[in-house]
Amino acid sequence: MNFLYSHILSLILFIPMLAAVLVLFLPKDNLKVIRWTAFGSSLVPLVLTILLWIQFKPGVDGFQFTEQATWYAAINSSFHIGVDGLSLTMVLLTTLLTPIALLASFNITDRVKTYMFLFLFLETGMLGVFLALDLLIFFLFWEIGLVPMYFLINQWGSEKGERILWKGIKMEARSYASLKFILFTMAGSLGLLLAIQMIGVVVGHFDLVKIFSDPNWLNSSNLVKIGALTLSVGKVKTIAFWAFVIAFAIKVPVWPFHTWLPDAHTEAPTAGSMILAGVLLKLGAYGFLRLVLPLYPAESEKYAGALAFLAVMAIVFGAFASYGQKDFKRLVAYSSVNHMGFVLLGIAAAAKVAGTLNANIALNGAVLQMFNHGLSAAGMFFLVGVIYERTHTRNLDDFGGLFPLVPIYGGMLIFTSMASLGLPGLNGFVSEFLVVSGAWSVLTIYTAIAMLGLLFTGAYILKGIKSVLHGPMNEHWAHGEHKLTEINLREIIVMAPLMVLILVIGIYPAWILDVINKAMMMLYR
Amino acid sequence: MSVPLSWYLFLAAALFCIGLYGVLARKNAIAMLLAVELMLNAVNINLVAFWRYLRPVQMSGQVFAVIVIAVAAAEVAVGLALIISVFRRRKTVMADEIDLMKW
Amino acid sequence: MTTLIWLLPLPPLLAFFAITLFTNKNRALSHGIAVGAAGLSWLGSMIVFIRALGIEEFGKHFFESALNWLPVGEAWFQVGVRIDPLSAVTLFFVAWTVLMIFIYSIGYHNYGQPKGDDDHAGLPPHGKTVTEHGHKHTVPSIEPMYSRFFAFIGLFAFGMFTLVVSNNLLTMFVGWEIMGLCSYLLIGFWYGKPSARNAAVKAFMTTRVGDVFMLLGIAYLYSATGSLSFTDIFRPEVLEALAAASTPILGLSAAGLIGLLLFIGTVGKSAQWPLHIWLPDAMEGPTPVSAMIHAATMVSAGVYAAIRMFPLLSLDSGTMTIVAFIGAFTAIFAASIAVAQNDIKRVLAYSTISQLGFMIAALGIHAYVAAAFHLITHSFFKALLFLGSGSVIHGMEHGVMHTGEHSVDPQDMFNMGGLRKKMPITFWTFLIGGFALSGFPVLTAGFWSKDEILADAFAHGHWGVFLTLAVAAFFTAFYTMRQITLTFLGQPRTKAAEHAQETTWTMTLPLIILAVFAVSFGWVGIPEHFPLLGNILPNWFHEFVGGTLVEIPEVPAFSWIPLATSLFVALGGLLLGWLVYRKVKTPAQDRLQIPVLKNKWYFDEAYDLLFVKPSIWIAEKFTSLYMDRTIIDGILHSAARFSLSLGHFFRDRIDKPVINELLGDGTGNAVKTSGSGLRKIQTGRIQYYMVVSMVVLIVFAVLYFFLFS
Repeated sequence: MNFLYSHILSLILFIPMLAAVLVLFLPKDNLKVIRWTAFGSSLVPLVLTILLWIQFKPGVDGFQFTEQATWYAAINSSFHIGVDGLSLTMVLLTTLLTPIALLASFNITDRVKTYMFLFLFLETGMLGVFLALDLLIFFLFWEIGLVPMYFLINQWGSEKGERILWKGIKMEARSYASLKFILFTMAGSLGLLLAIQMIGVVVGHFDLVKIFSDPNWLNSSNLVKIGALTLSVGKVKTIAFWAFVIAFAIKVPVWPFHTWLPDAHTEAPTAGSMILAGVLLKLGAYGFLRLVLPLYPAESEKYAGALAFLAVMAIVFGAFASYGQKDFKRLVAYSSVNHMGFVLLGIAAAAKVAGTLNANIALNGAVLQMFNHGLSAAGMFFLVGVIYERTHTRNLDDFGGLFPLVPIYGGMLIFTSMASLGLPGLNGFVSEFLVVSGAWSVLTIYTAIAMLGLLFTGAYILKGIKSVLHGPMNEHWAHGEHKLTEINLREIIVMAPLMVLILVIGIYPAWILDVINKAMMMLYR
Repeated sequence: MSVPLSWYLFLAAALFCIGLYGVLARKNAIAMLLAVELMLNAVNINLVAFWRYLRPVQMSGQVFAVIVIAVAAAEVAVGLALIISVFRRRKTVMADEIDLMKW
Repeated sequence: MTTLIWLLPLPPLLAFFAITLFTNKNRALSHGIAVGAAGLSWLGSMIVFIRALGIEEFGKHFFESALNWLPVGEAWFQVGVRIDPLSAVTLFFVAWTVLMIFIYSIGYHNYGQPKGDDDHAGLPPHGKTVTEHGHKHTVPSIEPMYSRFFAFIGLFAFGMFTLVVSNNLLTMFVGWEIMGLCSYLLIGFWYGKPSARNAAVKAFMTTRVGDVFMLLGIAYLYSATGSLSFTDIFRPEVLEALAAASTPILGLSAAGLIGLLLFIGTVGKSAQWPLHIWLPDAMEGPTPVSAMIHAATMVSAGVYAAIRMFPLLSLDSGTMTIVAFIGAFTAIFAASIAVAQNDIKRVLAYSTISQLGFMIAALGIHAYVAAAFHLITHSFFKALLFLGSGSVIHGMEHGVMHTGEHSVDPQDMFNMGGLRKKMPITFWTFLIGGFALSGFPVLTAGFWSKDEILADAFAHGHWGVFLTLAVAAFFTAFYTMRQITLTFLGQPRTKAAEHAQETTWTMTLPLIILAVFAVSFGWVGIPEHFPLLGNILPNWFHEFVGGTLVEIPEVPAFSWIPLATSLFVALGGLLLGWLVYRKVKTPAQDRLQIPVLKNKWYFDEAYDLLFVKPSIWIAEKFTSLYMDRTIIDGILHSAARFSLSLGHFFRDRIDKPVINELLGDGTGNAVKTSGSGLRKIQTGRIQYYMVVSMVVLIVFAVLYFFLFS
């Protein structure tokens, strides 16, 4: 037991990777064994995370369950991991969504072994980012997560469709999407890496805990170490700030860096979209909360208005763009832009008035929104996947009046849509309300404009329900070989935990918000 | 009464020239091989003559001559074998007809 | 006591889950659970109500209980329940109407009838052909989604009870939105009809406009006061601080702005101008839904919320002016449309909008008690009218099926006529409801509540409001009598009307019970100074509900002018309606079918042009196509194109010509050409080689000899 608790984070982090390797040694043709091994082994981190959640003490300052090991002593970078309330929430989200996504992938028949390998590998990558307490380790896992996702989109993405780039140049849609995804993120990573290096050179190590403990980590005396630069401390900080912001903004994604998202989400396989929307987007927001706000409080405050502007643009244009889509999956994809905009709005508000009650409320809302969006977006993408698998079309005009054919599916779609819409009583409302009430007095105009986005959230959600479930039944799906079949038991089991959590958080959010709230209070005093 | 060194050298030179002429002018490979033998022996005469007249106490001149003879014997063995091999394939021993190596 | 209040909303919620998850296959069990749950909530409400009556100065000693819900910084955000006089009376009418409508729904959805021949989920039942005594005829068939209906109205009842028992704005908003969802689901209950589907979306989106503002108001209030519970907000010092703080918008104080934002929520929910457009379309839903959601409870909840926030609203005279204006304008505006509608339910829908306008206007002129009074009486008689109209439609449908004339619209009043003999119970109850709506003097509840509003407006010198409402009341009496005349009086105008039949007891019983309230509930609020009657019954309602406020508002002094006005408009309107329409047989003879009224002042078209079309353009063209695809992706693609051409430049201009051809291939070629030149000397003849080597040797020897020695 002692060993378990002293190494629980490493276990959570590396069990998926070990499982990934294990999957490689399984017989290639026995799909059942591969699937169940992958699924079963992804449950282990979930169980461990629940244990961790129980053992975690929300009120205690600083990081808990920390582990440190030498890794790259020459540049003073060590393998340092730990959790606080913020990362714990995200770890729970990751370890929860991965088994669900793996279960959702049981219908994959093409190169299952590689698929499962990549997926488990991806989990380690994501968890690493949330757990890392060393900037270099953070960056390492940040990049590790990219590779499996690239291949998942590129190889298992939807097979149809192509994208015209410019006159005469076409590209297969999934190659385009995966390329766009990786290029976008890499472009952001470049600045991130340079900024991390700058910090490493200036302070002589990469350890976040130590950097956090020294608010004056960048000053004119240690700036000399960078050598030929003749910039002032303020300028260096501003540049590094923006390097971080752009890297994370691309990942969130914030308008105008969001155009990779609809492509990647739309082309990715169902489970890939679930994880992409459910966890990968949170990496960006987590970066803001973990690194940008604590490392650059002054700059964050100074540019909070700009961040809020971008957030509001994401909220409003995300909602509008979503409403304009004819492709069901694309509609859901754009909704992520809209929802993640609220996370950034909360962050911007908190940056502006760090340390106040309003900031605390806004941050609570932002973190809870991250978790909530993970649940509802994963659910939505899965439901889109369910109907796509049966009809092989995502065009909203091809559906219509399907409710009588698939009543259970319809009920689930309405439920999840309503969570996404922010219906009070379900989870989305709590977080959106917190963000709005935290941001209102700080960024009044922006919050007011954001309401326009909230209004159109309703419009696109209802458009989805209206086009798929309601209206005169499209007879094409009613009879014969195209007859639409009801959602099956496995798919219901995939949805069940998501729906239960959506409802539970909507009715009684205190169990999770308490952890978040205490973490936010200690992080940004 | 002794014969001067130069006479030997002349003899050797003449012999060498005859050999050289033979090698360059004769078409028959066996004749060329014979001519090569002449040249080798011209060298032997030189070696022995120089040894006798200039350094009679040392053995090196004689030794060289013996080595040249041994090498010549080996060379003839290999050379004849090659010529026979060529003859078996091309039914000729004429040097200008053996032009496999031409570009 | 508070435990019971906590439990009040739960039975319908549990019924919702039980029906959706388990019993949806069994119709009898489903409606049993739903009605049972409504009955439990009704029972609990009555207990709470009666207990509340027994408490002296209940307005000061109300029931309240709260628990921690959200951690916020060091503190907790609490939610809880509260029953004070206002919510107690609201609870009273909500419990009654909800229970009545639940029972009514059993009959309305044809419980006990056979399954239809080709009925599909998502469409109204078409009836079943049966052969009896040798000839075929069609009888009504049971609703295919029978259980689902009861699940939805169960969830709805949960939302309504939650809203009423809330002690804070947040849970109130939760109930508010859950009702919005149910309204959406129930308007679109027959989702197979495109009109129903569009009406559902329209209703949700229009109310959401209001809800979004309301959410802003809640957020503002929360960040200004740090609490959302009514007890905290309505503390005098908090209110004073809010009234003192100024905002840059319209010169309103913080209290005024918050009040205005919250009030916009009410405008949306209670279908006030300019967000009234959804309610008439909402009549696409089944009639019990129209009665419950769109007359008795949900739209009333909007007014309830406004009355609830009265202490805050009344702080700023600017806000109050806006409220009064919107209410009065809506009252007359909707009444003007109602006179030209032919659909029996649409007339009632516009009438609802108009009556809600009365309440809002009353609130705007500080007539707190009058607004609450009219809210309750209106709920009873409007629920009665809607259920009555449902009964009429049901009877007409029976006639339509019997005669097989499927072209006859069972909701068009011009197809009816003479139904009083065919459907006596429906007729008498409808008449009571209609008279209550018109404000038929003394007897009906509507008279007392409407009169109180007019008296208040008159007494406080709000002439504009007084006159507008008086004219609106005249219209109301007029169109109500028009409706009664066209529907029930005269002779049947179609075969279907001749064969109309009275409906079953599950439908008529609620009508009778509601009719009792439509008459009697007015008696609890008779002004003390009213001639003759004032002394018989005490004005209990004023004392009780007025006690919710810090100071009980004074009863306006009695005056003959408003009384004469209300007598005149009610009786005059009724008489005129009867005189005009007893002769009218077809729409062509109806001189009030003016296009502008018929087309509801073209608001739908204007909104479509002003808001819907531009939004769709922004969504479909501007954001996704122009901005994302063309500009942002265009920039990216240009960058890609630039990189690509840069790559091509390096390849075509540097790599290929310089490095490949000049350096790489050039060296190779040089070696190759020199080689092919030199190979000429390789003759393959051994003697040739020997000569060459000898010549070279000689040359070098000669060179050596001359140069180095």
